[in-house]
Amino acid sequence: MAKVYATPWHRYKYLLSGLILILPVVFLYQSMNPVFPDALPEQTIGDFVVAPMPFDLESPYQHDGVYVKDFLLTFKAGNIANIRQAVLNIGEQPITLESINMSKGEEGFLHGSRHGQHVHGLASEHIRVQDSIWLTIEQWDGETHTVSWEVPAAML
Amino acid sequence: MASKINRKFWFQLHGWFSLPVWVVFSFVCLTGTISVLSHEITWLVNADARAVNSGNEAVKSMGEVIAAVENKYPTADVNWVMTRESYLTYVVSFTDADKPAAMAYVNQYTAEVQEVFQGLTFIGFMRALHGWLLFPWHHNFSVGYYLVAAMAIVMLGALVTGLVVYKKFWRAFFRPQLRFNKGKRIFFQDIHRFSGVWSMWFLFVISLTGLWYLTQAILWHNNVEIEPHAPLLNNESLPEYQGSAPDFHINIDQALATAKQTFTDFRPTFVMLPEHNRDSYKLVGTGDFILYDDYSYQLSVNPWQGNVEASMSPSEMPVLQTLTHIADPLHYGNIGGLWTKVIWFVFGLILLGMAIVGFLIWRLRLVTLKKEKQTTLEIQEAS
Repeated sequence: MAKVYATPWHRYKYLLSGLILILPVVFLYQSMNPVFPDALPEQTIGDFVVAPMPFDLESPYQHDGVYVKDFLLTFKAGNIANIRQAVLNIGEQPITLESINMSKGEEGFLHGSRHGQHVHGLASEHIRVQDSIWLTIEQWDGETHTVSWEVPAAML
Repeated sequence: MASKINRKFWFQLHGWFSLPVWVVFSFVCLTGTISVLSHEITWLVNADARAVNSGNEAVKSMGEVIAAVENKYPTADVNWVMTRESYLTYVVSFTDADKPAAMAYVNQYTAEVQEVFQGLTFIGFMRALHGWLLFPWHHNFSVGYYLVAAMAIVMLGALVTGLVVYKKFWRAFFRPQLRFNKGKRIFFQDIHRFSGVWSMWFLFVISLTGLWYLTQAILWHNNVEIEPHAPLLNNESLPEYQGSAPDFHINIDQALATAKQTFTDFRPTFVMLPEHNRDSYKLVGTGDFILYDDYSYQLSVNPWQGNVEASMSPSEMPVLQTLTHIADPLHYGNIGGLWTKVIWFVFGLILLGMAIVGFLIWRLRLVTLKKEKQTTLEIQEAS
């Protein structure tokens, strides 16, 4: 019996949970050195030159009952103040202006500042080969422009 | 005899609840305790975070505070402003060409930008470390958040089993027993029981709010909406097509005046500017109510027409929202200002001490048992 009490397992087993505390250090390092997928090639849409970057290559996730995929859009040319509204969606077709106008939820709408626009891009549960990434911009002067990108293979 | 076995079972159960995770539990206690006074620690160690008001000035308007940042950084776009205790500056979040996510400490009495930095505040870091051990969020869940919230079960289990084992525990209120001359183990046992009984109320408050955080995590994970998002403005709210981009017709100070008209005791704690043209001013604040947190008034104000698109106040909250807004003040002790925070801080330290002492008692029992067994063996061998 005395041997049982003397085993290292018995002496140190209640210290093992402390190993979990290594993880916050790892996660802190990761958060200070984030790694993102490559941005998609920049494209011209109206007066704007835009490059979207997915935040990750995982499947779309649910947000307010809608499947979305997050992107950061860098505007390399053009004044975003001229945008009346802009929406990003992933699918076979771009979202129509009528649908945008009727929309009740903010998912899909570009938001942020002139230094970077974010979007919870509208998607379905699974992205398919025939899908593209569509950006639709309505300007204050009434013009509407659409551009598309191929979905990166790693995201399928 | 049955009672003795029963007590032994409860005592073992007390150990099973506490001992396997006592190191992580102690860390969560420590970070939580520091979090309670993180605002005051910030004030103490960072002069730039202090809102000194030597000229006895009135608080500047939110528009003036935002303008202070925009004047200093002409290409900055302000996202939101957070107010804190009157002795701490406002925090203004903004982006700039060379700053993807910056924060400025702006003195709300002088509109002076006292510090600009990127990254987390000490307060934010401590809350993240305590709340989810910095585990990453996967959109609607974090393993760390579950891990920490599950400590509520451990704490409640340890409390209940501890009270069952400690017969007539209420005597500790009137006739506390602290034996200093009976050895280390007896002293530790006495202090562990004494602390447990006197911090019983605190253990209940922290574990019950912790159980709520666990429930909340499960609800988030299952996409159950506890608080509705601010509505998207109708397309018709926006001005007609025109040659150049119009400015919002309502500025932040006008939007805040509308909030004040809606809730006369409204005091802003978090103000978010519209992020696109169909977005609204999101105005969050507190009022003359107790128990509820600083985010219990919420309004969305249309930046084009100035009307309130949506609002929320404690009197209109359903059960889940009420629980969401009363949990933090009870958990972090900011229900009554600095004094309640100090009480929570002290009891947080006591809880941390109990976790460490509980483990030491087990270690000392182990040594005693080992010695007893060795003595028995030696006697057996000698005979």
